[in-house]
Amino acid sequence: MEETVLAFFFFWVPGFITVMGALMFLFTKSSGTSRAGQILVGVGLLAILLAPWTIPFSPSSSFGHFIGSIVGPTALIAVGIYNLSFSGNVPIGRLSASERRSGIIMIMLGVIWFEGMHWWILTPTYPNEVNGYWFIFWSTTLLVSTGLATGAIMLTRQVGVNRIQEQRLLTVVLVMLVSLVLLGFAFDGPNVDAKQFAHEFWLAGADVFGMLVGFSLAILMFAFVIAFYESQLPEPSRLPAPTKDELTVAAEIIAAHTDGGSLDE
Amino acid sequence: MSDKEPRASLLVLGASFLFFPLVLCGLALALYGHVTNGAIIRFANSLLTSYTIASFLLLFSLFVYGDKRKRPIAPLVGMLGAALVGVMVSFMFLSQGDLLMEANGSIRAQALSNIIRFSTTLIAVFISALLVGGISFASLMNSPTKQHIFSEEE
Repeated sequence: MEETVLAFFFFWVPGFITVMGALMFLFTKSSGTSRAGQILVGVGLLAILLAPWTIPFSPSSSFGHFIGSIVGPTALIAVGIYNLSFSGNVPIGRLSASERRSGIIMIMLGVIWFEGMHWWILTPTYPNEVNGYWFIFWSTTLLVSTGLATGAIMLTRQVGVNRIQEQRLLTVVLVMLVSLVLLGFAFDGPNVDAKQFAHEFWLAGADVFGMLVGFSLAILMFAFVIAFYESQLPEPSRLPAPTKDELTVAAEIIAAHTDGGSLDE
Repeated sequence: MSDKEPRASLLVLGASFLFFPLVLCGLALALYGHVTNGAIIRFANSLLTSYTIASFLLLFSLFVYGDKRKRPIAPLVGMLGAALVGVMVSFMFLSQGDLLMEANGSIRAQALSNIIRFSTTLIAVFISALLVGGISFASLMNSPTKQHIFSEEE
């Protein structure tokens, strides 16, 4: 079979299935359809993860390799944050202190794993060079995280009351993120050149700002379509004004329900 | 929210999200002169791809809107038209020689590459939100219990 046809069936069809599954899961109220959506997402993701073996000749397979490379640290961070959050002041279903400790360790391991990809031998390499999608992912993650951390600090300052602990923690996270970026600009890793990292950082900025503008335009267009449609709908038919007799009846009914009645009754 | 000026507070909040990304991009430019090569092309490709994909996703969400409005056809047609404009503009620009083409051999390869790069960026944004939002949420959940504001007078 032709290579492009194989790539279509083993990469693009699973990708489409994953997106459709996610939409079914998010937008439907029926539990059956939602469950089917979850299954579709699972099947699609599995097929994408298998792309380096099913379609090794296709450039798209490096995306499957990239997804496989980040599943581990992402899952560690996600489960770690869950454990840490729900072992705090939760009235119902509070997790134990050992799960809190395991949560902290999981988050640290996840972050160290990601760092090992930049500064150690864990860099995703496929087939013989650093995976280009990892470069995009890593620079975008650092860029967006610094923006979100600064925004979150300002948000807790403006909206929060007595949120000093959160501000301190977010400041520590921000300093760590900025330090990582600066180290990346200054020093070469075993597989990542400092100049290349700086270049990818700039391109990540272009990607993120392009995405923001594109999303904003699409939402504006959506709002325009809905507003235009709603403005074209005919006015709902109005009932004629009530007659004097109808008003009298209504007044009697209201009076019967609001008046306490006379003592003679 | 601050008592001073709500609009000024919102502006400061919005600027804070952009401050460090812009400063770090500026620093990269100052350290290495030629890091901006290809940035305009990446910006344009990202804009067109995200507009087109977001339009199709919003078109899908119109089916939910239709449930409450006797399934009207007009908004579906309107949004489909908006999404198709994105597809046509993307292919029109990609077919103009090197205007938006990167290291890809054909228009189809460039379009597919744009979609995969969009997915990668989206995953990175989600993981950033997970990391920063998750740490903030965990900190909030682990902060000491506040005293009740309206405690009973003894």
